[in-house]
Amino acid sequence: MSVVVAEATRSGAWLEDPGFGVYVHIPFCRHRCHYCDFNTYEGQEALHADYVVALVRDIERAVGDFPRATSVFFGGGTPTLLPPPSLARILQAVRDRIGIEEHAEITVEANPETVDEGIFEALLEAGFGRVSIGIQSLAPHVLRALGREHSAHRALDAMRAARRAGVADVNADLIYGSPWERPEDWRSSLEGVLAELPDHISAYALTVEEGTPLATLVRTGRAPDVDPDIQANRYEAAGELLTAAGYGRYEISNWARPGRASRHNVLYWSAGNYLGFGAGAHGHLDGRRSWAIRLPRDFIAVADDGGFTEEGAESLEADHRAGEALMLGLRLTSGVNLAGFYRRFGDLSDSRAGVLEELENLGLVSRAEGWLRLAGHATLIANEVLCRLV
Amino acid sequence: MDQAHQRAFAVISHVDHGKSTLSDRLLGLTGTVSERDMREQYLDRMDLERERGITIKAAAVRMEYRAADGEVYELNLIDTPGHVDFGYEVSRSLAACEGVLLLVDAAQGIEAQTLTNLYLAVDAGLEIIPVLNKIDLPAAQPEKYGQEIAGLIGCDPSDVLRISAKTGEGVAELLEAIVHQIPPPSGDPGAPLRALVFDSYYDIFRGVVAYIRVVDGAIRAREPIRFLATGVEAEADEIGIMAPDATPIKSLATGEVGYLIAGIKEVALAKVGDTVTSRARGADVEALSGYREPKPMVFAGIYPVEGDDFPLLRDALEKLKLNDAALVYEPESSSALGFGFRCGFLGLLHMEIVRERLEREFDLELIATAPSVAYEIELSNGDRRIVRNPTDMPDAGTITEISEPYVSIMVVTPSEYVGTIMQLCQERRGELKEMHYLSPERVELRYHTPLGEIIFDFFDQLKSRTKGYASLDYEPVGMHPANLVKVDVLLNQQPVDAFSTIVHRDKAYAYGKTMTERLRKLIPRQFFDVPIQAAIGSRVIARETVKAKRKDVLAKCYGGDITRKRKLLEKQKEGKRRMKQIGSVEVPQSAFIEALRLDQEVKAQ
Repeated sequence: MSVVVAEATRSGAWLEDPGFGVYVHIPFCRHRCHYCDFNTYEGQEALHADYVVALVRDIERAVGDFPRATSVFFGGGTPTLLPPPSLARILQAVRDRIGIEEHAEITVEANPETVDEGIFEALLEAGFGRVSIGIQSLAPHVLRALGREHSAHRALDAMRAARRAGVADVNADLIYGSPWERPEDWRSSLEGVLAELPDHISAYALTVEEGTPLATLVRTGRAPDVDPDIQANRYEAAGELLTAAGYGRYEISNWARPGRASRHNVLYWSAGNYLGFGAGAHGHLDGRRSWAIRLPRDFIAVADDGGFTEEGAESLEADHRAGEALMLGLRLTSGVNLAGFYRRFGDLSDSRAGVLEELENLGLVSRAEGWLRLAGHATLIANEVLCRLV
Repeated sequence: MDQAHQRAFAVISHVDHGKSTLSDRLLGLTGTVSERDMREQYLDRMDLERERGITIKAAAVRMEYRAADGEVYELNLIDTPGHVDFGYEVSRSLAACEGVLLLVDAAQGIEAQTLTNLYLAVDAGLEIIPVLNKIDLPAAQPEKYGQEIAGLIGCDPSDVLRISAKTGEGVAELLEAIVHQIPPPSGDPGAPLRALVFDSYYDIFRGVVAYIRVVDGAIRAREPIRFLATGVEAEADEIGIMAPDATPIKSLATGEVGYLIAGIKEVALAKVGDTVTSRARGADVEALSGYREPKPMVFAGIYPVEGDDFPLLRDALEKLKLNDAALVYEPESSSALGFGFRCGFLGLLHMEIVRERLEREFDLELIATAPSVAYEIELSNGDRRIVRNPTDMPDAGTITEISEPYVSIMVVTPSEYVGTIMQLCQERRGELKEMHYLSPERVELRYHTPLGEIIFDFFDQLKSRTKGYASLDYEPVGMHPANLVKVDVLLNQQPVDAFSTIVHRDKAYAYGKTMTERLRKLIPRQFFDVPIQAAIGSRVIARETVKAKRKDVLAKCYGGDITRKRKLLEKQKEGKRRMKQIGSVEVPQSAFIEALRLDQEVKAQ
């Protein structure tokens, strides 16, 4: 596979053949952020080494024949809480057992306080070509309120260090619409990050998730709840700024410079296949969605025993699968290529086709040149559309 | 017993003035109920009554009393319902009596509903025995209230008996007064049977039990009988007296009071006020005067909060109807509330009682639309029709006149609240008819006002604005034309039936404004702007907008966990499925229910 082909698959458009992905989960953080409900744990440093061993064993023992991975994504938690050699070892296990395409997109998530130029060099050496840095905000009071450990300065330093080390693909993760954020906080965060010329920006509206410290603060009135109207304002402001800076929005929350969309991200939205390794990791193979044991300790114990680390799975029948694929694909700005979609999922059931027609009549989706896409004004109320399709 | 030794009387009293305690005391003193069997409020049958401290259904009890003259008298105590909604039932109970005890709390004085019933008794030509109760209370003012009563009935203050039903003081003298002042019945024992049904209730084992007073002739067990008003023919399976428990006897003679069981399945077939005759001799017997069909005055839609409960509600209404001749209902459906029933009630208390019984005895969670009255509509083509549900109102252009039922309300109040009450009555379009000082401190006010103005919360307002001191009674006084309009509430141009109402033109704007504001807060944002309008015909009088929601999207997909994302959307889809669809607007039924729960406040403003 040539470099040119690889670039073409990174336009951010829906793919009839999304490739094959591998997701690796590192469920550890130095400190858990107030809003976070991900499967991650702090204070389990003692488990880190065992976890790496268990993860490698689990990868080595993966059952089945798989195509070579076109994208690999190390997410967390904070993958960079593990030393680069550990991450290298895990990636090597993926390469040995599954195989990785030559120009595959290999991403690792990093938190600013855990990285420096040396670490980025080591990660590049191990084969990681893309880093996704959790910046979230550059406003000190917002970072504090979110429970982030790093300063704005450190966040920008991390981006610069990645560049100095030679990382070609840098993503900045941002969060907007937190209760304490002022309009100018969001604007200056975006401008500050854009000045470092990242290739890709993910901007997520803060969601108050059940069971998080933030949810408790909101419930007890110690923090104001997020305001969807304010979040909509922020989203629109981000869209204007990023478009002007040359970034194209290819998914509801993702912007990239041309040819720099995340292949792995697009694979998810194109209902592609991927394996998930690690505690609580999710995988998907042709309509079968599965997930692994969530607690690192349990995961390690089962993997060490040579046991089956899958905790649960669901298999979707054809019509349901098509509905899910629409729900995912319509998040992409490109929408879904209908010819490709029918080839992959067959014709839509009458009821689903009826819903689509109704959505078209309501002006919430449109059909043009063989692509079905969400209407521009429906982007921010996508649930209204997507929930009818699942 | 011979007629000369019979006495039949009722007790006219206000809630809490001690009627039940006096009844218990009389049962004890005459030996009708032994000390051991005595329980509080013996004659009140239902839990609901006991809890509310009021009597809903009348009962009758026979007592034998050996008077000071050495003779034994048969005393029939006929209990009367204590609320305005049952005014007709009270009048029939009084028609079964020759006298009444006017029982007044010596610490409170006479109250409005007592006054109304007193006037009924006076009109019926009954002997009135004035009695002040609770003279044992430290707050009792027997002098003052004795004057008040004497002034009302035109007797000497010294003629007003003073008793304490609680301690028994003065009750012996009261028994003597009953024997000596109340005349015996004057019916004709030789005439064909005429018996007045003055109450009836449904017993699940025996069917309908009718309370009767034999006016002429006699009734014998097994005798073929006929109810004149309903035309129902039956056999007197059992006749008996309440002493105080049901005791079957062979016959009831002229003037006697008892019960009749005749295999009748619902009370609507043995109605209060009907005349029972003998089929053998009753071919051309004239019915006793005063019979009236129960006439519902107040109407409301009653809906189950859970749509699945509709069949339960239907069964429950059927069961209640067995025992409530005045309850009427028919199925109705609402775009906002689903399937329910439009019910007609005698009045507010009746409505409250029915609703409470439905919820309590049948374990139903219910929501009622704002109560309405029956309007008489005159159309431009000359037709007249009755509208009981605002949604049935014909097009405004075809209406030449709308009339609404008026009531005469009587309020008895300490004089310091007269101004407050006048203000309240004026707000409710009342017209002052009479003001009468019962004493320097207490006033009787009489207003004519539309029934529609008092069915919402008038009574609550009256109570709260007078710290509970004022009492209220009302009676219908016919229909009067008024400047009424139907106000519709529209959601994205679609009328929401449950919120249509008929109000005076002057109040239409306030209603429209408050309801549209309330709904704006309750209706969830849609993906488009939703106008909420209040309109009279096609003229919009108030408007609010539920702004389109701007953001409803899941931010991200965490580590490829599509399952979770899909489940969230499936939940949202399921939520949509449960919504009520008003045109293209999706509204949770809870929003409508909440708006209706608050509706009464709106009407009050």
